[in-house]
Order: sequence, then C-alpha cells, then structure tokens
Amino acid sequence: MKLAVVVQRYAADIGGGSELHARYIAEHLAGHAEVRVLTTCARDYVTWKNEYPAGETRVHGIPVERYPVAHEREPRDFARRSSLVFEEMHSVADELAWLDSQGPVSPALIERVRHVAAESDFVVLFSLRYHTAFHGARAAAGNAVLVPTTERDPALGLQIFGPVLRGARGIMYNSPEERALIQDLHGAGHVPGVTVGVGSQIPAAIDPSRAAAAFGLDRPYLLYVGRIDVNKGCAELFDYFSQYAARCDRPLDLVLIGTPVLPIPDHPRIRHLGYVSDQDKYDVLAGAEALVMPSYFESLSMVMLEAWAIGVPVLANGRCDVLAGQCLRSNGGLFYSNGREFEAMLDTLLNDPALADELGENGRAFYTAHYEWPVIERAYLDMFERLAAGAPAGRMDPLPGWLAARPRTARPGAAVVDAAPRGPVPTDGKRETAS
Amino acid sequence: MAADQHPHSGRRQHFHRGRRGQDRRGDRRPSPPPQAQAQAQEPGQVEQADVDRIVKDIKARIAQRHGIDLSAQQIQELAARRLEAILDPRTVKPGLLDQLRKAAGAPADLAPAEPADAYTFEDHTIYDTHNGLLRFLRKLLAPVLKLFFNPNPIAAALNAQVRVNREAARREAERERAQAEWNALHYTVLQRLVTEVSRVSIEMQSLSLRLESLTARADFTERRIRGLEAPPAAPPSPARTFDTPAVAPPAGAARPSPDSAGGDAQASEGRRRRRRRRGRRGNLPGGDTAGGGAALAPAADLAESDDDTFDDGPDGDGPEADDAVPLSPASVVVAPPPADAGEPAPSAPSAEAAPEPFERVEPARPTAPAPIAPAFEPPESPGAAPADSTPPSSEPSDR
Repeated sequence: MKLAVVVQRYAADIGGGSELHARYIAEHLAGHAEVRVLTTCARDYVTWKNEYPAGETRVHGIPVERYPVAHEREPRDFARRSSLVFEEMHSVADELAWLDSQGPVSPALIERVRHVAAESDFVVLFSLRYHTAFHGARAAAGNAVLVPTTERDPALGLQIFGPVLRGARGIMYNSPEERALIQDLHGAGHVPGVTVGVGSQIPAAIDPSRAAAAFGLDRPYLLYVGRIDVNKGCAELFDYFSQYAARCDRPLDLVLIGTPVLPIPDHPRIRHLGYVSDQDKYDVLAGAEALVMPSYFESLSMVMLEAWAIGVPVLANGRCDVLAGQCLRSNGGLFYSNGREFEAMLDTLLNDPALADELGENGRAFYTAHYEWPVIERAYLDMFERLAAGAPAGRMDPLPGWLAARPRTARPGAAVVDAAPRGPVPTDGKRETAS
Repeated sequence: MAADQHPHSGRRQHFHRGRRGQDRRGDRRPSPPPQAQAQAQEPGQVEQADVDRIVKDIKARIAQRHGIDLSAQQIQELAARRLEAILDPRTVKPGLLDQLRKAAGAPADLAPAEPADAYTFEDHTIYDTHNGLLRFLRKLLAPVLKLFFNPNPIAAALNAQVRVNREAARREAERERAQAEWNALHYTVLQRLVTEVSRVSIEMQSLSLRLESLTARADFTERRIRGLEAPPAAPPSPARTFDTPAVAPPAGAARPSPDSAGGDAQASEGRRRRRRRRGRRGNLPGGDTAGGGAALAPAADLAESDDDTFDDGPDGDGPEADDAVPLSPASVVVAPPPADAGEPAPSAPSAEAAPEPFERVEPARPTAPAPIAPAFEPPESPGAAPADSTPPSSEPSDR
C-alpha cells in the first residue's frame, strides 16, 4: 500500500499540534505501508517563511518532499480578512481570499499532490483549515483521507470547507466532539469516518525524583505543559491559581513547561521551567499532583493522553467540549468552568489522594485501550481496508466561478459555529447537552 | 479497570503513580480497603470513580453555597442587553448610539483639523490672477486705482477675519474633541454602571434566594424543635429518672442568700426555664439528638443570658456558659445548686458541700451583666426551690 501524507510543516524539531500528530502517524504507518510525506519549506507557522531547503530528504527514515511557499503571511491582511469572514456577512470569494491569506500557499506542492494521488492508494491530509489541506484534498480528489484536527473555531463555520468534507474519501476524527461538530455544521455524516486520535511516545523509564532534583521541585505541584498563551487559557489559569493560592495556604506550586507567549506573572508559587526535553517533561509530569489543561479550544489534547498514560489525573477546562468529553469518557480527570469550580475540583483532587489515584488509573486504562499505538495503527489500517473495499468517494463540488463566488450571502463563521450544538459527547456519540 | 490487568500492560513498564513527587504521597495515601482491592482485581468491574457524578456533586455544592453563579462574560452579556434596553433606539437616535460606541472604542483625535477656509490675504491678493498679462496690467495700474480709494484697510480687515476664522475653527475642533472624549467617558461609565448594577442585582437575587433557603431551614428546624418538645404522654410513674432530686438537698443549704441569688420572681422564672431545658436535654434520645439540642440552645439562651449568670451558676453547658460571663475555673468545678441535683451529673459533689463554694463563688462574678431588676414580682422563698425542679408536664413550648 502506498500512502502520501500532506501536512503544512514537517520536521523532527517541530513539536505539538497537528504537525507532531502527522509525524507520529507517518512513522507508525511506515511499518505497514510505503509512506511519503509532502510538505512545505516553512518552519514558522506564523510567517510561513521558507527555512528548510526545498527537495527530498528523510526524517526518521521517512522520505519527505519539501516545496517552497509562494508568499509569506501578511499579518494585517490576514487579520482584516479573518475579521471579515468570521464576523460579517461575506462571499465565498472572501473565504477563498482568507484561505490564501492564511497560507501556506505552495502551488508546487498542490501540483505534486495531484500527481502523487494518482500513484498512491490514499493521500492523508492534515489540518483542514490550512491552504495545503484544502487545495490538496481537491487535488487528491477521490483518494483524499482527511484528518481535520478541527476545534470549535470560527474557521470551521466557513462555507468553503463543506464540499471538501462531504467529498472526501474518508475522515479520521480526533474526538467524538469533533465528529459531532463537523456533522452538525457540514453534514458529512455519509462520509466514512472513524474516531481514532493519536498516541504518544512514552519513555520506557520515568523518574520524577530526577526532575525534582534537576528543577528543585521540592513542593507538590500542578503542571501545565504547552504553549503559554492567552488562547490556551493560561491567563485565566494564572488568575484562578493566584486566587487559589491567596485563599489556601496549602503548599502547592504551579509549574509551567513550554514557550511563553504571554508574560508569566511574578508569583512565588508559579514556576516556569521553559522548554524541556521529552524525558524531562515526562519526569516532571510523573511527579505532578495533576496536569492542568486550561485551553478553550482543542480537537484532542495529546498532553492529557500523555498524563493518563503514566497515571496522572487531569484537571481540564470544561468549557472545551473535547476536554470535558475526554474526562467523562476516561473517568480520568475533573473539569471546571469557573474559578470556584477550579478551586473546588483542585481541592477534591488534593484532599482525596485515593480518588486522584483512581482517576489516574482510569486514565491509564483509557489510554491503553484507545491510544496505544497498536490500537491507532489498527484503526488506520482498518479504515484503509474499508475504504478500499467500499465505493469510491463522491465527486467533490467544484469551487464556484468568479461571478458565483461574489454574492455576500455567507454567514459569519463565528455565528455559524456558535449556533452549533455544544457539550461533550460522553459515550454514544450523542451530546449530553445542547444549546 | 486496573492497568496491570490490561493485555498491553506487559509490554511497557508504566511509571507507577505511587512514586509521584519523590514519594511525597506515599505515606498519606490511604491503602484501599480489601473490598476495593478485590473489586479492582476482578476484570469487568465497574469503576468506582464517576467523573460525571463527582463534577455534578461539586457543582451542586457550589451552587448551594453561592447561589446563582454566572461568569464574568455572562454578566457582561446580561449587562449589554440591559444597556440596549436603556438606550432604546426608539427614544435615542441610532446614529448617536453608533457614534458613542465608536467613540468609546477609538481614541479621540488629538490633532484639531485645519479649517478648510484657512486662506491668507495679503496686500497684493486683490490683484492676483492666473493670467500673467492681466496680473502685470493690474500691477501697473494699481497706483491709479489707489487714487480713488485705499484698499489697505480692506486687506487688513480680511486678514483679521482669516485669523478669527482660524481661531474659531480651532476652538470648534477642540470642543468637538473634548465632546468626543466626554461621550466616550459617559458611554464607558454608563456601560460599567449597568454592568455593576447587573452584577449587584444578580448577587441580590442570589442572596434573597439564599435567605429564603435559610428561612425555610429555620422554619423546619423550629418545627422540629417543637416536635421534640411536644409533651409525650407521660405515664404517671413514680420512678422518675430526672427532675426529681436524687439526693434531697437540705432546704436551708439549697439556696444562697436572697440578695446574692437574686431571690426575685424573674430570676426564679429564668431558673425555672433553665431547669426545664435541662430536663428536656436530658430527655432527648441519643447523643446525636442531645447534640442537636445543644446546637439549638444558643439562640434561646441569648435571651436568657442575664438570668443564667445569676441563677444557675456554672453548669458546664457550653453555649449557656459562653453566653454568660466567663467563669473562673474554680467556679466551673463547684457544685451546682441543689435545684440541679436531679440532673444526671455524676460528677457533681454532694449537696451538702454545695452551699459553701456556691456562696464563695458568687462574688467572683462582679463583671456579669447587671441582672434585670425584678421589681414587679415578689421574691421567691428559698424553700420553693425543690418544687421548681418538678418538671411541668404541661410546659409551654416557649422556644
């Protein structure tokens, strides 16, 4: 079987998000199929500046073809177009212009996808919101298998994504919430799909005492791992934790791992370790009382899965449907919706070590049952077999012509997404709550 | 399901949670009970922890404690709706509203715009023209023109007018800028006021709900007390367990001097009530109920605190003692007055020893609140004390 993986960036040193997801999938599927990665020369997801050399190379043994990005992102233009399509009535032409403005635009890559699709069994495209996945899926036509990695983002409410989702050969969802949202917004229920997610690479030996000695972690701590950003809910986390620390004299620190985009408050109980190695990350994670995940938008939290993989309970932001759903399905963590709940949930975890242990063990069992690599690989291979045996994909609706794309009849993306049902999907694929 | 039960668990040694944080939780983590261990070892058993239930329980507890719980964003949205209602477009010009909103969001233009009619007027301006030949002829004939009139005052007046216009434009721009700033400030203040009013009204609503809840709880408690105080159909049995003195105190020793003991009717009434309450407490079934009675006592005792101080002496009853003046340790160990001899207090000394310490202790309470002067009832004779200890079978439910 020949597989092509298309992703906007690809390198061993690009961590987190859909790029890491794509790399893990490519590397693990390489044991079952001939895998080739098609990507751009960009390294920075904000500017899309060409930093890697164009041409073919190998990353961890996987052949990778890199194609140059035609133009870097213009932040002002992107912000203006985002404001238009997310908040105002607009046209399909506006949405396409927004997609071009977002990038990364690489005509050579799309042309290459068109050729590779004819030679491959399937083309697996990651991150629907980017130019590479959108136009790559159109170029791959009936062989496109999407891994949308979408969250409750206004971009998902744009009209242009509907035909791509409905015309794909298959869709690999990250979570039941993502699947429900896509089906609610774009009616892609008839497209073969499976909720599979992604695994992680857990080190064989983890030693929290090593991290405690290395970083001076001599008090119990709550851990956050990821980009320290407002969009990730970190400002709110700082606020909640500061209030908690002011009211409670329990010796508890908040330890942060990741690159700061947001200024970290100068607080005696908040400690920032910076960007650490994977081994250190797991060592610190293993010593934590709990992992905290304050993000509002996630399609799947890999770091939560990593915490569960080593039996650490989780405290998540319940306003993110996916995180709440993960906690409910795994019984491996608690979730909060405001400061009072944050404090109450945290106290519950800290005051009841038996419960925390049980949550951790539940999380570990959940990870083992659903996110171990053999499970993930099997899900992909089963999906490919099912798609190969089934009917070919329907024809993807073509992009509207110049004139047809001009009427400003498309609703604001944010309004479209806001109108979609909310709430976690606990077990049976149906939402528990809807608004 | 425990991880070690999973078929994949043998492939990789997961880090065990028990070692987290340098074994910091190793000692204080309670070992699971044998039953739980047995359940954990049986595959297919339902997990004990149910996150959904735990989260709902915690949320319910928070809601019960804090009443209505809205996030800041929800309050903002509520306030925005109220503001829309206040700034009704039917009564307020819609354009003005937009202008106010924009002014609130955008910084005021600090540089006043140059007036459009900022022309200059010089002496030669009246001869200006784009035609060079005509300009030359006018310049040539200007002295002839000046023979008929003097154009200089006209030029000066126009120049002055230009200056006046420029100054007026500057003032107008400044006024508009100040007005825009005031508008923005007014809008912001109004918006914040509405937000604050919304927040306060929500809190008030929450507090009123909480008050209702507490009132209902108090009513329930009151009814429960009355239910407990309802006189049981006491069979006329001679074998009384309380309120009948176990040791008959000597009549003379049972009562201190009328002056110190407040031998007035009100004090006697307070004493009587106290004895009744003790009798009820003793009659409450089970320690739990007794505790509940003790918990309920302070509200009633507050009204009797003056009497308590002088009537009963230290009885070791927490709330009552707390409500009265602080007692010295010596006063705590003295024997209760003979009227309490029937109370089930095995540590009480003999009734014969009671009078002396009692009288000795009495002066040791000079800081007690002044007793209510019993001016309208005759003093009760000391000999009536044993009779008071008889529990009234038809005791009114006064609490």
